[in-house]
Amino acid sequence: MRKVYVLGVAAHPWGKWAEKSQLQLAVETLSAALADAGVAWRDLQGLVAASSRFEGGMGWGLHANEVLQAVAENGAAAVNVGGGCAAGGIAVHTAASMIAAGESEIVAALGAEKMPKGFIPRPPGSPDDIRDSDYLRWVAMGATNPAYWAMEARRRIHEHGTTAETFAAAATLMRRHAEGNPRARYRKPSSVADVLASPMVADPLHLLEICAVSDGAAAVVLGSEDAARRLGVPLVEVAGSAIATGRFGDPAVRVPTVSQNASSGGPTVQHTSEVGGAVARALEAAGVGTADVDVLELADNTAWHVLAWPENFGFLEPGQADWMLERGELGIEGKLPINPSGGFLSFGEATTAQGVLQVCELVWQLRGQADGRQVPHARIGQTAVLGLGANGASIVLKA
Amino acid sequence: MIAVADDLFTVDETGTALLGARCTGCGTHYFPEPVSCRNPECDRKDLEIVTLGRTGVLFSWTVQHYQPPALFRVDDWQPYAIGLVELPEGLRVLAMLTGAPPGEVAIGSPLTLTTVALYRDDEGRDVSTYAYAPSGGAL
Repeated sequence: MRKVYVLGVAAHPWGKWAEKSQLQLAVETLSAALADAGVAWRDLQGLVAASSRFEGGMGWGLHANEVLQAVAENGAAAVNVGGGCAAGGIAVHTAASMIAAGESEIVAALGAEKMPKGFIPRPPGSPDDIRDSDYLRWVAMGATNPAYWAMEARRRIHEHGTTAETFAAAATLMRRHAEGNPRARYRKPSSVADVLASPMVADPLHLLEICAVSDGAAAVVLGSEDAARRLGVPLVEVAGSAIATGRFGDPAVRVPTVSQNASSGGPTVQHTSEVGGAVARALEAAGVGTADVDVLELADNTAWHVLAWPENFGFLEPGQADWMLERGELGIEGKLPINPSGGFLSFGEATTAQGVLQVCELVWQLRGQADGRQVPHARIGQTAVLGLGANGASIVLKA
Repeated sequence: MIAVADDLFTVDETGTALLGARCTGCGTHYFPEPVSCRNPECDRKDLEIVTLGRTGVLFSWTVQHYQPPALFRVDDWQPYAIGLVELPEGLRVLAMLTGAPPGEVAIGSPLTLTTVALYRDDEGRDVSTYAYAPSGGAL
């Protein structure tokens, strides 16, 4: 397998961009990433797109084809990957694999999304059948996505004594990081009191502890070592990347299921094993351990994720995140900086673009270009992202 | 009373039970009936329909303060509790909680399956879903 390097990255600011189509967001962002790499459209040999179900892709999820046909009909390979909200991470992994295998010299990964307002609706045409859990959860109990996360948060309170103030502090940490990030949508600092005063959505989670939905786009251009040296870009290596699905017996309360094959007396299976599996495989591929990771970008759909994920995936002991947070150790200057970008809580989730954005942020961190939010001496960074259907993806970058 | 969906739960003189399945190969219980046994260690994957979940223990809960989208139909909407309930059959299920004010049932409480009315349909019938209530009556 050949080594893989990041040649260029770009991300459109997150927000609501009514005047731009999904295709415009995609083209503008990939153009910027190619410019960052010093690569012309005609020299792109492959494009892997995270397929959205909300807009674009010619109705078939053909987002890579649509972009190539719109801008450069150069015969490049088009790959369109699904994976729900993990599709961006899966796209980066797929592009890296194409280069590692020696199939291509320069391949880009792209995620661009325009989100509908409010709770994410069912796909049109889905059957009214109780074997479709995204139908059953609505008709039988009306369980919204925040309700699933709230049940995890409530259980954490029961097991570790996490307080309302600690969940709120995790949310304010993400906002504080976003202050230094011009691409984040929510950059106004908030206090613990502000978070606790925001409306209760699903007890114990308040509005400011749950990610919104946004429009956004991110792109990463990857290449071989030869390509990186020829272009003269700062050397950031894709040291490991992996994708995984969930394991039987996983105790995660997984959207949109209504039951789980887990019980207190049963076998112990890792929580959110699809992401945990990808994180472990990516670390192994990179030949490093959790203690070597200088900065972590994880999918913080809620304040609970900021605390629980580093524990679930072996970066911290169970229950340790609360006091790490209180001591400032999860901040930019801390021992385990989490989401210097500001995370989903500051961006709002542009589903398929999110996993690509995480990689962009780590590249800026490892290049020392993260002005206003730079993690000191960051040399190894890792992403972790979760998608519908028990999809997980993780990328390890090394400077 | 009619059920919010077919093949979901059953009510008779002995009480309310969920309709699920059990794999005769590995003994795993499922709710609702799945396409197949999902245990990767099981090669037999032979399902039989069973009733389950007549009782359980509360593992976690939330109170929803925003009305869910329209696919969830209820006549008298107000914030309500949803629980994650551990069943003696070795699985956990999500269900509405009833028989106590929202947020007033503690983790670890024993629960019994019952039904709650959601809405009256166009033909004047009461449509109900399954829900867990504190065992031994209302708090």
